[in-house]
Amino acid sequence: MSSTPVAGPAPTGPTSGSDTGPAGQPSPDRSRGPGRRAPRIRPVSAGSRPGPRRRVARHWPQYVAISPYYLIFSVFMLFPVLYTVYLAFQKWDGIGDMQFVGFQQFRFLWDDPIFWMSVRNTLVIWVLSTVPMLFLALVLAVLVNSTKRFTAFYRVALFIPSITSLVAIAIFFGAVFSNNFGLINAILKSLHVSAVPWMSNEWTIKLVIAALMTWQWTGYNAIIYLAGLQAIPSELYEAARMDGAGPVRIFFSITIPLLRPIILFTVVVSTVTGLQSFTEPQVLFGSEAATNPNSGGPGQAGLTTLLYFYHQAFDNNDFGYAAAIVWAFFLLILLIVLINWRLVQRKEPRP
Amino acid sequence: MDLSRRRFLQAAVLTAAAAGATAACGGGSGSSGSKDSKDLALWYWSGGLSDKVVADAKTHFSDITLKTSVVGGDFKTKLLTGLRSAQAAPDITGVKGEDIASFLPNADRFIDLKTVGADKLVPDYLAWKLKQATTQDGKLIGFPIDIGPCATFYREDLFAQAGLPTDPAKVSAQLATWDDYFAAGVELHKAVPKTFLVNNIGAVFGMIIGQGTQRFIDEDNKFIGDQDHIRTAWTTAVKPYTLGIDAKINDNTWNAAISNGALGTEIGAAWHALDISNAAPGTKGKWRVASLPGGPSNLGGSFLAIPATSGNPEEAFKIISWILSPENQARGFTDAALFPTAPAAYKLPALTGGDAFFGGQKTIEIFGPAAEKIPSAYEAPADAAVSAPFYSELTSIEAKGKDPDEAWKDAVSQAKQIAERQGVK
Repeated sequence: MSSTPVAGPAPTGPTSGSDTGPAGQPSPDRSRGPGRRAPRIRPVSAGSRPGPRRRVARHWPQYVAISPYYLIFSVFMLFPVLYTVYLAFQKWDGIGDMQFVGFQQFRFLWDDPIFWMSVRNTLVIWVLSTVPMLFLALVLAVLVNSTKRFTAFYRVALFIPSITSLVAIAIFFGAVFSNNFGLINAILKSLHVSAVPWMSNEWTIKLVIAALMTWQWTGYNAIIYLAGLQAIPSELYEAARMDGAGPVRIFFSITIPLLRPIILFTVVVSTVTGLQSFTEPQVLFGSEAATNPNSGGPGQAGLTTLLYFYHQAFDNNDFGYAAAIVWAFFLLILLIVLINWRLVQRKEPRP
Repeated sequence: MDLSRRRFLQAAVLTAAAAGATAACGGGSGSSGSKDSKDLALWYWSGGLSDKVVADAKTHFSDITLKTSVVGGDFKTKLLTGLRSAQAAPDITGVKGEDIASFLPNADRFIDLKTVGADKLVPDYLAWKLKQATTQDGKLIGFPIDIGPCATFYREDLFAQAGLPTDPAKVSAQLATWDDYFAAGVELHKAVPKTFLVNNIGAVFGMIIGQGTQRFIDEDNKFIGDQDHIRTAWTTAVKPYTLGIDAKINDNTWNAAISNGALGTEIGAAWHALDISNAAPGTKGKWRVASLPGGPSNLGGSFLAIPATSGNPEEAFKIISWILSPENQARGFTDAALFPTAPAAYKLPALTGGDAFFGGQKTIEIFGPAAEKIPSAYEAPADAAVSAPFYSELTSIEAKGKDPDEAWKDAVSQAKQIAERQGVK
């Protein structure tokens, strides 16, 4: 069952990548993207209105070809999503009878300090991971973009962490940061620095989880930035250099403004995936325990909202409350994405 | 290029169709409809039953085709999903000890085992364990596979260094109460500074709760987690922390701690012996087992149940009672460290022999009497959910140095909220 939330972040990245990529900005591999789009849009809007039914009839092979995705999507994604709306107003233990309780689950949610703590934990982990992740990704992309040799190697190397099993990474990080017997503390001790209780302090726990996410997703974002960088015409750089701009000035006056749509895309995707951290704390802090499983580690410092949701649904069998948690959390993610959108797109000139 | 893409797509479609067809066939195990099916499906988890006994059951019941699935991952969730349809549900299933209480309100999803022959076998099995699978109106939905009678595992060599008694009988006598045990821990830590007494204080709390006759919710579905019996357990559990003999291990470093001597004792169930010998094979012969301070307690122990949709409940129970006969339970003990639920098994050679990991000690002398004296307590369906904040707050004390009184208040108020959400009065 853990596969649903586990798989959550991973596919979101690549799928939305290919969906949003062409719409955002012409990237080199897809330089024909917008061109290809234009003719298709024109007959739809300017054609002599043949009516939607005839269009469907004329293009049925295409619709059939794309239908598997939508069928699978509606059965495994859309229906469960809509069903959780219904569940959020019920009290249900998973096999017994459902009982309609109105807004009671949301009232419980409002009064539940653990829910609010989980939201705080999630936001802190998200900030601690996303900010360094996107910054490092940009730096890495600029560095790789300026190299002439082994570029294919660098791209593969950057991409490998994002396709590595998250559970394996979490176990590895758990061993490296282990309080008493971890690699980091062994190094600290050999340097005569006192060991840090990484896995029991409430801040270092978040730091470890954030480090894990940064490690996994920096390369993926760097690849996206790299694609964006290569779409910037070299004439602009030459002109800037002729005008006497240094590399830092070029970076901030040419690279960043022209990358803005790409940055917006990565910020939105990282927000959506970064707020859904689940597997990391679940694997790091004994989810298999018979007593008190999925509690999020010492002091519940690693209890993210999705882990709390999972705990309520599958440990406590309180499916109605769990549904209320995810819907409240969905609204929160939506809010943050909108804020991000406004912040990053502020100066975007209308095309 | 174009051709190869078409080929690829064809291959993909064919593969998907084949996979779909296989899945469709696998789904129809034919366990619905008539109640005399000869094909029975058994679900358990890795280590939940002795694989050897299960293999023998297949040959012993030659007229039945017993199809076993070792289900990985979150077993309860998969069982919950499976129970929703007769096609998907197994005919016999394991139910983990920590989950059995949450299935009791939906006892109608299972066969009352007393109607298929369990009533005759009940006297041969531990009454307190059967009670865990019995509804308040007397239906028995699970037959006990194993139990987890608890004891103190201790390092004889470290006890000797600290001048403490080393003989199991003497240790049991001298460390009879929790305070005696903690006092020994202080001496041990003083003599061997790197060695702590307990793994974490949540473990101590769990043991003390298991020694009582009341848990967090009473028979009238009323929250009693704020009463004296829990408060006393809490105060006792916090003592090792204040005395500085708590190793505060709440992460995955337990394996390392147990093998390098950071833990001088472990309080745990009989099956915990396997965890210790797996984690620290190098300490073989150095460990001994003594009685748990403060009286017997139980941790874990699973059941076999028959879902109401089972194709042949009578035959299914015959298989269950064969797998869980005293003789086969003794084999399960040797094979998978499943501690028998039928006291008759405690006299069989498989259990009465010495254990080399414990220096040849006959551990049944500790576990056997403990198993029969474990107090019977009512465990409500929401008990595990309501108890969670107590454990979380105990780790908060260890991790953040949170004030124990404040932690107690927070635990009680959270537990009350969970109780309200779970429909407890």
